[in-house]
Formats: sequence, C-alpha cells, structure tokens
Amino acid sequence: MAAVLRPSHRLKHLRIAEFSQMGSYWDPIQNIEVVRILAGEYYATHCDEMITTVLGSCVSACIRDTVAGIGGMNHFMLPAETRPGGIPGYRGLSSDTAYGGYAMERLINCILKYGGRHENLEVKVFGGGRIMGGMTDIGLQNIEFVRAYLHTENLAVVAEDVGDNFPRRMAYFPATGKVWVKKLRNIRNETIIKQETAYLGEIRQQTAKGGDIELFGD
Amino acid sequence: MAKILVADDSASMRQMVEFTLKEAGHQVVVAEDGQAALNLARGMTADLVITDVNMPNMDGITLIRELRALPAFKFTPILTLTTESTTEKKMEGKDAGATGWIVKPFNPEKLLMTVNKVLG
Repeated sequence: MAAVLRPSHRLKHLRIAEFSQMGSYWDPIQNIEVVRILAGEYYATHCDEMITTVLGSCVSACIRDTVAGIGGMNHFMLPAETRPGGIPGYRGLSSDTAYGGYAMERLINCILKYGGRHENLEVKVFGGGRIMGGMTDIGLQNIEFVRAYLHTENLAVVAEDVGDNFPRRMAYFPATGKVWVKKLRNIRNETIIKQETAYLGEIRQQTAKGGDIELFGD
Repeated sequence: MAKILVADDSASMRQMVEFTLKEAGHQVVVAEDGQAALNLARGMTADLVITDVNMPNMDGITLIRELRALPAFKFTPILTLTTESTTEKKMEGKDAGATGWIVKPFNPEKLLMTVNKVLG
C-alpha cells in the first residue's frame, strides 16, 4: 500500500499570514489537514482544510466567500454582564456587545482582506446550547446576538443548528461550505462548562480593560 | 458636546460606536467607508474623526491622509478604531496623521475617556 503523503508543510506554507503558526494535524481517514480552534479563537483559510471545535453555550459563525474560495470559523460568547438583553431598540447591539462585534468582525475582515466580498458571503451559525445552570440562558443570548449582528450587517444565514440543551462537536470545510455537527447528548458537560467558565472570566477581564489605546502625541 | 464623524464599514460597529457617543451627549455623523467619510468631510466640519482601518473603497489610512489635506481637517483629532494591532500598521497610521490608535474590542468608558482627552 502506498504511503499517504502528508501535505501539511505545503498547506502551512500557503496559509494566510495571520495563521502561519496555527497548530494542525493530518487526518488520514478524512484525507485532510485539520485545524482545531478553542473559545476566543478564529481561523480562516483558502486551503482545503477542516476546522473543528466543540461548542457548549458558545457560538460559531462559519463564513465563506463562495466565489473567492476563502472562508473560516470563529468560536466565542458574549461577556454578558449587566444588561443581558442589550438596550431596547438596539436589538442587542449596544456597546455591551462590543466584544461579540469584535469576534465577528475580525473573521469577516480577514475574509475580506484576502479577496472576499460582502455580497458573496455565505453564513452558517451553530451552538448556543443551554448547558450551564442559572437564571440566564447564556446560549440564547449568544444566538440572539449573532442573529442581530448578521441582520444589521445584511448577511443572511443559510443554515443553522442552535439552542437546545446539549453541546456540539462540529467540523467546517470552508472549501465546500459543508458542515458536520455531532450533538453530544450523552457526554458529561463538566469539561465544557469548566472551559467556558474560564473563557468567560477571561473575556470579562478583556472587555473591562478594552483593546490597547495609544495616543501618538507630538 | 462635540460633533464626531465616524467611519466604519460594519453597520453593527457603527451602531455600537454611535450609541456610545450619543449616550455621552455627542453629535454623531456616520459613514460606511473611507470614501463616504471623505465626501461628507468636504461639506462639513467636525471636532473629531473616528475611523476604522480596513474598509472597502477607501481604507482608514488613506482617509486620514486625504483629511489632512483638507484645510478644515488639518488639525482635527483623528482616532482609528480597528482590529489591527501591529506596530507597522500603527506607525503607518501615525505617519498618515492619526492622533491615536484604539484597538477593538473597545471598552465604552475608555473610548469616551480617550475622546474627551483628545477633544481637550
């Protein structure tokens, strides 16, 4: 039997600059290079790769330009602090949601920067399960935010699998737009809850601090 | 109260920035890209400009250069509000005439503090 050639070195070389250091592995069964992203990360590519993640109450937007052949996926949640529903009349897009806007924008910006066009973007949305206890349905907030964001940006959602009360393992193939979702109904959620709680703590800190501000002076 | 021109190609980001600034009592004029902002700027004055960097038609860096060539905007404070955080990009912005560089995600209170600082 001929050895399976592993083209990852070639793919890494072809990767867009922002992700040249991103870890990945070769899946000999699917015959494809796999990039796994965690909460707070995103990845975009014009190579034939598979992007995977596990979503609890977090959401992922899978976005690609169907003409230019570039696409990617993010994985995030809102810090959701004081005003969970956002401000009335703003469909959830108040300044409280600046972090969500940033998570969506950096994926879209990256796709546009490398040749994508707004009118060719195909969007799919996943996640937002209710897996944590408590009064607030964080998953639902995340879903509502993404819907409001995409509505404001005039981007239609062509497919989604969101909500309910289980986590999802998913894989996105930006080259074709295909998505695999496995509903994790029977596994214990503790690990995912622990990871998401840690991520929530991080982004609350990050949101409180905000991005760097530099005044140039004279 | 100041009159602020905001340029961002993302409608959501325009909403969020506009909301933050209006809540603080400022008057806000929005533009959907650099070219639209420049067209508006040719017929108005502003106390401050806040611009995104990556935008179609005209990017933020070019917008800053074009604004600096207009007598009405020669000395107007211009802040960038962007996901770009590399030193090279910042230097490009500084050379073009930017007053300051704000990296997203923005914290509303800190954005307002910076706005007040550059308005003097």
